[in-house]
Order: sequence, then C-alpha cells, then structure tokens
Amino acid sequence: MNNQVPLTWFLYFAAASFCIGLLGVLLRRNAIAVLMAIEIMLNAANVNLVAFWRFGTPQASDGPLNGVMMALFVITIAAAEVAVGIGLILLCYRRWHSADVDLYDTLSG
Amino acid sequence: MSQIVFLVIAALGLLAALGTVLARNLVHAALYLIAFFFIVACQFVMLEAEFLAAIQVLVYIGAVAILLIFGIMLTRNIQGDDTTSVTKALAAPGLVVVLGLFFVLVFGINNHVGLKNRSGWPLQSSRPPVTEPATPGEPVSRRERAINDMGRTVGVELVTRYALAFEVTGIMLTAALVGAIALAHRDVVQEAPPVGDSSTKRATTPIKSLPLATSGAAASTVNSGKV
Repeated sequence: MNNQVPLTWFLYFAAASFCIGLLGVLLRRNAIAVLMAIEIMLNAANVNLVAFWRFGTPQASDGPLNGVMMALFVITIAAAEVAVGIGLILLCYRRWHSADVDLYDTLSG
Repeated sequence: MSQIVFLVIAALGLLAALGTVLARNLVHAALYLIAFFFIVACQFVMLEAEFLAAIQVLVYIGAVAILLIFGIMLTRNIQGDDTTSVTKALAAPGLVVVLGLFFVLVFGINNHVGLKNRSGWPLQSSRPPVTEPATPGEPVSRRERAINDMGRTVGVELVTRYALAFEVTGIMLTAALVGAIALAHRDVVQEAPPVGDSSTKRATTPIKSLPLATSGAAASTVNSGKV
C-alpha cells in the first residue's frame, strides 16, 4: 500500500480550510455568516486532531482514542456555542433591527 | 486510488468553504456549509474514524446547520442586502493576513522535524498498522479494537478515563442551552395592550409567534376586530 494518503495532505487541507474560515470571520459583516465561518475553523481543527490520532503512535498510558475523544468534545462545545450565539444574535437583532456586526459598537467609547 | 479520492474530496471541501464565505445569499452560504460538514465527515472516514463521521453528520448537519438556518430565517437578511456583502475596504488587508497565516502554516507543516526519536510530519507517509499489537502478548491490539469497535470504545472511555470531562461537558451543555433559551425568550405579557381581560387572553397567542416589528400592529388589528 504505497499510495496511502500521507499525513501532511490532511494537514494542508485543514490549514487551508482554517484560513478560509478566518477570511470569513474577518470579511463578513452579517453575524450569522461570522458564526458559520467559526464553524469552518472548528471543523478544520477537528480534522487535524483525528489525523494526528490516526498517524501518531500513542504512549502506553494514553487512551486508544485520544484524538477522537477530543474531537467529540469539540463537537459538543461547538453545538453549545452555536445555540448561545444564535440566542445572542436574535437578541441583538431585536434591539438594532439588523444582524450587522458593525452596528454592535455600544461598548466602544 | 485513495490519493485520488482524497484530492477530489479536498477540492470539493475547499470549494464549499469558499462558497460559505463568499456567497451573498445567506441560505446558499448555509447550504455550502452543510456540504463542507459532509466533506469533513468524508475525511473522518478516510482517517478510519467512521463513528466520528456519523456523529459529525448527526450533530453538525442535523442540529447545527438547522439552528443556523433558523437564525437566518429569523433575522430575515436572506436576499443579499447590504449587510450580507463582503466588506470592500477590509478585503485587501484580510487577504494579506489570511495568506500570510496560510504560508506560515504550510512552512511549519513542511519543515517539521519531530520530537526526539519520532519522525517529522513530512516523513510520515504511511499510517501505523492497525493489526500489530503495541505490546507483545496482547491478543488484539488496542488500536484495532478501538477502530473496529469505535462506538463501544468511545462509550467505555467516556465513563472511565474521561468521566470528569464528560460530566463537566454535560453541565456546560445544559447551562448553555438554558442560557440560550433565556436570552432568546421574549416577555409577551408586557407587550400585550391593556384591554378587557377576556380579549387579552385570546390575543396573546398570535402575538407570541409574530416578529417584533409587526406585533404591535397585529395586536391592534386583533383588538379592533374584537371591539
């Protein structure tokens, strides 16, 4: 099996999608679009975790599934984050009648 | 063969991610995002973590994407008005930052040298075998059991090694969902106009489902119809 996918290809894919997600966070003005771009970045990190789990040789004291468990916890946290984020965006939309993040500058003096 | 499959999947995934970032219509962006989630699930399958791929489809496509689409519908900026466009003034600095970060990451991945007595990432072209036991004398290697029976292993790990993290995550998830409901919940009682008790009782039900901008008008029409 010499045509296996090497580790670096997964890392390149994760790096590229992380950068695209960062581009979305920096450039989009709609709050929900920013939330979607954050989801892209979290998924890129998950790909990295699982790739390192599969390609690495774990120590004897490690669990058999350390990267996968980490990715599972990240998925859980991401779900909670989206729920709270949508709640906050709805609150802001009700107050400013727009989901534009440039409008939410009450705290900037 | 698997390299070709990987290249096709990765190209589709990057296109979907770009579509999410660049689409003016937010519903299209959400659909591109669902495609990206599915591509990431495909990557998990290529990394032999099929259980995680199933979880990815269930949680991300089933719950997170639907929640995001609900948010898009409730904020009603679907048709690409001014807030959904990309900021023109920030495009050049944003691109510089993102390309710089990408080159730094690629440089780091290319030139990684590895910890002591481990090989660097660029030299690691094949995965460690599944079937060989880590310690001699074991009948089945831990990794083979974990990969072939991943759902069971994840369950056992969650209640033994990661029990504390599991409990804390459960508490955090409950607190986050209660907080989300408390944030998004609207007090209807204060907005109901003070009219006769029997008509207010009946009028509160349609008000609750209407958005804020029209609720006042709708309430007044309901009440005038009653009078």
